[in-house]
Amino acid sequence: MHMSPLLRNILSAVVLAWITQPSALDAQLRRVVSKSVSASPASAALELSFSDDGVFELRLDRGTVFLDDEPLGPYRVGAELDRAWRALLSEAMTLENGALAERLAAWSPPAEIDGSDEALGRSIDQALKRAVETSVVLETESQDRSASMAQERRLVEVLVGSVRRLGALEEALEGLPGDYRIFVGEDFVIPEGTVVDQTLVMIDGTLRVEGEIGGDVVVVDGALEVSDSGVIRGQARIADARVLRNTGEIEGGIVDVLEEERDLEAELRDRLREEIRAEVRRDLRNEMRNEARMGSDDSFSIMSPVRPVIRAVGGVLEKLILVFVLGLVGAGFIAFAGENMDNIAETARRAPGRAAVVGFAGSFLLIPVWLLGLVALLVSIIGIPVAIAWAPLFPLAAALAFLLGYLAVARTAGEWLADSGLPWTGWIRKTNPIFTLVGGLLALCLAFMVGHLVSIIPFLGFFGGLLIALGVIVTILAFQIGFGSVLLTRGGRRREYQGAYDPDAAWEAAMSVDVDEDVGPGPTGGQDAHDA
Amino acid sequence: MRTMRSASLGLGRIHHAVAAMALLTALPMAGEAQSWRTVNMSRQLQGADEVRVFVEYAAGLFSIRSVDEGLLYRMNLEYDEERFEPIADFSGNRLRLGVESIRSGLKIDTDKAGELELELARGVPMDLDLRFGAVKADLDLGGLALTGLDLSTGASESVVDISEPNPSRMATARFEVGAAEFTARGLGNLNAEHIEIDAGVGSLTVGLDGRWARDGRVDIDMGLGALVLRVPEGLGVRLRKDSFLTSLDSEGLVKRGDVYESVDFDEAEHRVVIELDAAFGSVEVVWIR
Repeated sequence: MHMSPLLRNILSAVVLAWITQPSALDAQLRRVVSKSVSASPASAALELSFSDDGVFELRLDRGTVFLDDEPLGPYRVGAELDRAWRALLSEAMTLENGALAERLAAWSPPAEIDGSDEALGRSIDQALKRAVETSVVLETESQDRSASMAQERRLVEVLVGSVRRLGALEEALEGLPGDYRIFVGEDFVIPEGTVVDQTLVMIDGTLRVEGEIGGDVVVVDGALEVSDSGVIRGQARIADARVLRNTGEIEGGIVDVLEEERDLEAELRDRLREEIRAEVRRDLRNEMRNEARMGSDDSFSIMSPVRPVIRAVGGVLEKLILVFVLGLVGAGFIAFAGENMDNIAETARRAPGRAAVVGFAGSFLLIPVWLLGLVALLVSIIGIPVAIAWAPLFPLAAALAFLLGYLAVARTAGEWLADSGLPWTGWIRKTNPIFTLVGGLLALCLAFMVGHLVSIIPFLGFFGGLLIALGVIVTILAFQIGFGSVLLTRGGRRREYQGAYDPDAAWEAAMSVDVDEDVGPGPTGGQDAHDA
Repeated sequence: MRTMRSASLGLGRIHHAVAAMALLTALPMAGEAQSWRTVNMSRQLQGADEVRVFVEYAAGLFSIRSVDEGLLYRMNLEYDEERFEPIADFSGNRLRLGVESIRSGLKIDTDKAGELELELARGVPMDLDLRFGAVKADLDLGGLALTGLDLSTGASESVVDISEPNPSRMATARFEVGAAEFTARGLGNLNAEHIEIDAGVGSLTVGLDGRWARDGRVDIDMGLGALVLRVPEGLGVRLRKDSFLTSLDSEGLVKRGDVYESVDFDEAEHRVVIELDAAFGSVEVVWIR
């Protein structure tokens, strides 16, 4: 591989420094402003942010180690390295700022790990040290060549171990003079008031410029920050690196030496993206075509926001129509079978529990009775014509019994409401069985209607569902009590409860008036009663 | 220069070490077939400007207390990572914490509930806005310098304890409670001029104990439920009730016109006027020594 003279010099300096240096620079711990430690069976991650706005993230995730979202390499899940990392994170949970930085800097991979995990362990160790330590130039030195290494062994690895980095470095150094200073694998700050008349090369670290640099700056696989007071007289050449902040002055401008390469990559990426987009578009079109074929209307439309309102109002209207229809049917029953209905309602009022038990038992026995009757009739020749009538008429009679019972329960409920004095029940006149019937039907359907209305309100769908469930329970109970009452009174033909002498009932029977409503304290009430 | 801080363990550190050991035992190891994630987040305190804190939490166990270790907050969170993701966002003077749902739908997991333990900086002026849904909450707001408090909860069992006086003065503290069992203790320590409690359905216990720095007003709006007012002896209380079908056990209160007052209302050092608007339910006044 052809190597530029500057790169050759740098490599020589690096090796020389590795052998001979102690560093002229001191490491400091960065101030940790926030931390996040997270762990699940699949991954364990540490995120830090520092007072200089720097961030650090290292996670072991489903068999791969990621450093700042870049994969470092695969690790063995559940093995020593994984366990050691999780143990470190457990400690990190209890530590903050300085103590946390110290602990992270002091961490080293366990001795027991081997194979590829060993190298990864070292990389994690170095990444942690680089993250929490920073170096500050303490004095401006006149040496032509200097190098600082937080981890000396890392130095050669950084440059030689990555062909990509070496290539990027060569591109960045092309044409630069030979007077330079190198920083490898750690962060550096050129403090305010400091003047450095050299070219600075930063590899795999962050260079923060608060002072003045007379030459150029080369950053490879790292980051550059130029603060308000920072000045770079030459160019800032970046290769595979980021400019985190540039509020200072870079006279020679920023040159991205890998721009061409990246343009090529971007072109390839765009082409790939376009192909994927076309593929997705094609799939989507097919899916929409299929949906349209199946007549699905679940897609969003302008009506979407008002759909719950329409649905709720529709539900309430449906119940009101049902009340109206049942009211008409009930009126028919009252007109043509009023006494039967009275007896059923009386039983439902006096013994709802007993009626419910009988109703439930009767409901369970309906199908066996129907089948047994059918079989019994079919076994005899005379019974066959009766069986033909039995098959449809028995279910019809049962349905009528349920309906009659339900209406009788509704009427009882209406009478109770008329006596209750609750708000909005004043219109239910006990003297008018139609009013009590309709009032009762509305009461029995109330939970459904409120449930529908509550469902309109966002997030209250659950309560709407609860109310509708309550309505279902009330309806089932009403049907069972009603059916039981029908059975107990033999369809209302037998008065189940003669009861003790009830003066109000006797008065009502004698005068055909409602004592509660019409017998007032004054003479007017009495007059009304007579008029009625 | 490399700093070499001593690693001395104070009592607080020991406390957290014990907590961390507990977390460590719960720290999920690879191979477990669960999607639960444990997260520990914290942020250093930088400056003492007022911070507006928003906390959102949908379901699970939730606790708050104060912390005094140079931290703005510390949050321990356990959540189902398939359904939620943590929020920890600090920008300007706004701090947003909690979890947010990343998938719609209702999943009822009877085996395990998520948990959020939050510690907030003691003494830093803070306008606190808490919103949670089906949550069992244990909030100790003692030691926090609250300049505002807004708590909104859905179907939950919540205990709010202001165990120490609030050093900051607060204009209004609001509690909006849905279908819940809600207990507030030490409301006198809130240092609030006005406390509003809006409760839907449930059981409500309002403790007016604590150190009242001035006269206060408490508005309670209750739909359906039972309210227990725990009043310390010596605090002057005037209760005005506007209710539909609500019984009142006003032991220790004397009816004067359309209000009920404690016997020593006129002589009391601090007086609290309670405006109660309740639809259905019961109200009981319990005196505490």
